[in-house]
Amino acid sequence: MKKFISVLLIGAMVFAFTACGGDKNEDAGTDEQTGTSESGAIDYSKIPDTMESEDGKYQIAFITDVGQLKDQSFNEFTWNGVKAYASENDKSYKYYQPANDQAATDADRYDAMKAAADSGAEVIVAAGFLQEKALKQAAEDFPDVHFIFIDGAIEGYDNIASVNYREEQAGYLAGYAAVMDGFTKLGFSGGGGGSNPACERYGYGYVQGVEAAAEVKDVDVEMRYSWEYGSTFSASPDLQAMLGGWYEAGTEVIFMSGGAMFQSGAAAAAANDGAIIGVDVDQSGQSDTVITSAMKDLAGSTMDVIGAYYDGNWENYGGKVTTFGAAEGRVGIPTDTWQLEGWTVDDYNALLEQIKNGEVEIDNELVSDPSTLDWEHITFVK
Amino acid sequence: MILLIQQTMIYAIPLMIVALAGIFAERSGVINLALEGIMIFGAFIGVLFVRTMQENQVFTQEQGQILMLLAFLVSSVCGALFSLLLSFSAITLKADQTIGGTALNLLAPAIVLFFINIIAQQNVLMMYTGDAASWFMIKPSTFGYERGHEFGLLGSLFLDKVYLTTYLCLIIFVVLSVILYKTKFGLRLRSCGENPQASDSLGINVYKMRYIGTTISGALAGAGGFTYALTTSNCASTGEVAGYGFLALAVMIFGNWTPLNVALGGILFGLFKCIAATYASLDINGDGVYMLAEIGVSPYVYRLLPYLITLIVLAFTSKKSRVPKAEGIPYDKGQR
Repeated sequence: MKKFISVLLIGAMVFAFTACGGDKNEDAGTDEQTGTSESGAIDYSKIPDTMESEDGKYQIAFITDVGQLKDQSFNEFTWNGVKAYASENDKSYKYYQPANDQAATDADRYDAMKAAADSGAEVIVAAGFLQEKALKQAAEDFPDVHFIFIDGAIEGYDNIASVNYREEQAGYLAGYAAVMDGFTKLGFSGGGGGSNPACERYGYGYVQGVEAAAEVKDVDVEMRYSWEYGSTFSASPDLQAMLGGWYEAGTEVIFMSGGAMFQSGAAAAAANDGAIIGVDVDQSGQSDTVITSAMKDLAGSTMDVIGAYYDGNWENYGGKVTTFGAAEGRVGIPTDTWQLEGWTVDDYNALLEQIKNGEVEIDNELVSDPSTLDWEHITFVK
Repeated sequence: MILLIQQTMIYAIPLMIVALAGIFAERSGVINLALEGIMIFGAFIGVLFVRTMQENQVFTQEQGQILMLLAFLVSSVCGALFSLLLSFSAITLKADQTIGGTALNLLAPAIVLFFINIIAQQNVLMMYTGDAASWFMIKPSTFGYERGHEFGLLGSLFLDKVYLTTYLCLIIFVVLSVILYKTKFGLRLRSCGENPQASDSLGINVYKMRYIGTTISGALAGAGGFTYALTTSNCASTGEVAGYGFLALAVMIFGNWTPLNVALGGILFGLFKCIAATYASLDINGDGVYMLAEIGVSPYVYRLLPYLITLIVLAFTSKKSRVPKAEGIPYDKGQR
C-alpha cells in the first residue's frame, strides 16, 4: 500500500511539474520575438514583461498600483508605455510589485522603490495616487533618481514629475455617447470606494456628459451610481451579483471604472444582455458587451515623460504637475472600434473640438456622490 | 425573484458540495481541514485546463459545455490526488489530522500562486480568451433560440443564465448522499468514523475505508473549487476562494454532519449573502418596488445578516450536535 501511495504522489508531482513546465517554455519562446508588429503600430503584448540586463542594472523601473500588473487597464497600460520606450531606446527595464498586494503599506511601496533604486534605476515610474507618501520619502533618499508619478500630484520635488489626466473629459464623452446612442438607464460602478481621484473624475464627468446629452435629446435619464464592492479594484462574486441585479432591474449600460472590476461587470452584462463602458483603455477586445471606453492614453504620456528625461528636457515636467487632457490629445473614446449607431464619429470629433478649445467646459472637482447635486434630466436610483 | 434564486444557487452550490466533501471525510473518521486548500488547488487546475485547451484551440466556444465538464472532471481528479497527501499523513503515518490539514491549506495557495506567476507573470490566472458567461453559461442561444427568448417562469428559472455545474453538483450531492445512507458501503464507511475497532473486528478494512472517504472528499472539494471559480469569479484562479472551504466546514457542522441539513444550511447562508449583494435591486413580488432598498436600512446590516443568522442558528442547534465519535483519532490496530 505504501509503495502504491508513493508512486501515486510522485506521479502527481511529475504531472504538476511537466504540465506547468510546458507552459513556461512556450512563454520563453514568445519572449524572443520583437516588439513591433507588421503594421508598424506597437503591439505591446510582444514586448516581454521581464528582461535580463547584462550588467544586472535596470534603468527604467515601474512600481505597480494596487491590483495586478496585467489588469488589462491602469497598471498594464502604464507599464506598456515603460517597456515600449525602453525597448525602442535600448534601455533595461523591470517592474516591481509592492509586497502584500491589496494591503500594501507605504513601507512596502518604499521598499519596492528602494529595490528599484538599488538596482540602478535612473527613472522610476510609480502608478497610482496611493504612492504619494512613499514617493516623497524615496525622492529625498535618492536625489539622483528621477520619479514619474502617474495619476497623482506632488509639487516642489525637482526629481518628481507628476502626471495627471482630465478623466472628467473622457468620462463626459463616454456618458454623452451612451445617451446619444439611445440609452436612458445608466449605471456607474467605480473603484477605490469613492476616494480615488481619477475614478471620481471619471464618474463626475460621466454624469455631466449624460446630463448634457439628455438636454440635447430632451430625455430623462435614470442613473445608478455606486462605489460598493470596489475598494480593492478586484472582481468579486458580490460585485457580480450586485451588477446582475442592476441589469435585472432595467439598467442598460454600466460604466465600469475600476481596473479588474471590469471582469465582474462583463460577466454580469454577458449574462443579462447588458452593455459595458470600459475605462482607461479601449476594452472592446475583452468582451463583446463593451460599447465604448473612456480612455486616457497612459502609455503615450508615460513615454513622453520618460523621453523628456532621456532627451535632457526633464525640467519640462520635473517638480510640477502636468495634466494631460483632450487638448493634448490624451483622452477620448476609441474611434477605431466605433460601435455606436445613434452618434457618429464626426459628431464626436466636433464635440472633442469644442472641449479642446474650451467651448464645452467640464467641472473637474472631486465629487464622490453626484446625486447630492442638482440635475435636470437625471434621477438617481439607490 | 428569479435573480434571487439563481444568485443564491451560485453562492450555495459550492458550499453544499464542499460541505458534503467534509461529511465524507469526517464520517470515515478523518478531519479534513484541508478543504480550503483542496478547493484552491481544484480551482487552479480547472482554470489551467480551460486556459490550456483554449490556447491550443481544442474546443470552440460552441463546445463550451464539453470543455467545462472536462475541466470539472480534471479538477476533481486532481483534488482527489491532492487529498492523498492528507490521507497518507493522517491514515498511513497516523499523524495529527488537524496539523496535516493545516499544512495543506498553507501549501495550496503557495504552490498555486507560484505556478500562476510562472504561467501568467501576475497573480491571477484567467481564461485565455472570452469570459465565463459567454463560454459556459446556459442561455437561450445554447438551445438555438434568439437572444432574449422567453422560456416562461420555470424555463427562465432553470434554463436561462444558469451553469450546468449547478445541476451536476446537485445530482452528485443527491447520489452520494443516498450512497452514504442507503448502501452497504455507506454503512461501513460511517462505522469507521464511529467505532473503527468494531468495524475491524467484523472484517472491514478501516484504512481502506478512510482512504476512500478522504479521496471522495478531495474529489468533491476539487470540483467545488472549480465550480466556485467558474460561477463566481469569471473562471479565474487567484490562489484563494474567499474562505469558502472554511465556510463549508462551518456549514457541515451547522448541518450536523448530515447531507439534508447541510443542503439547507448552505442555501440559507447563500440566500443571505445574495440579499446582501443585491438588496438594492431585489423586486421580490414583481411590483416594481425595491422594498429592501426603500426601508432605508444601512447596507452594512444586510452584509452582516449571513453571519448573524449563522450564529443564531448555531446557538439553537449546537446542543444537538453529534460529531462522528472516532473522528480525528488515527486508527491503530493494536489499540483494541
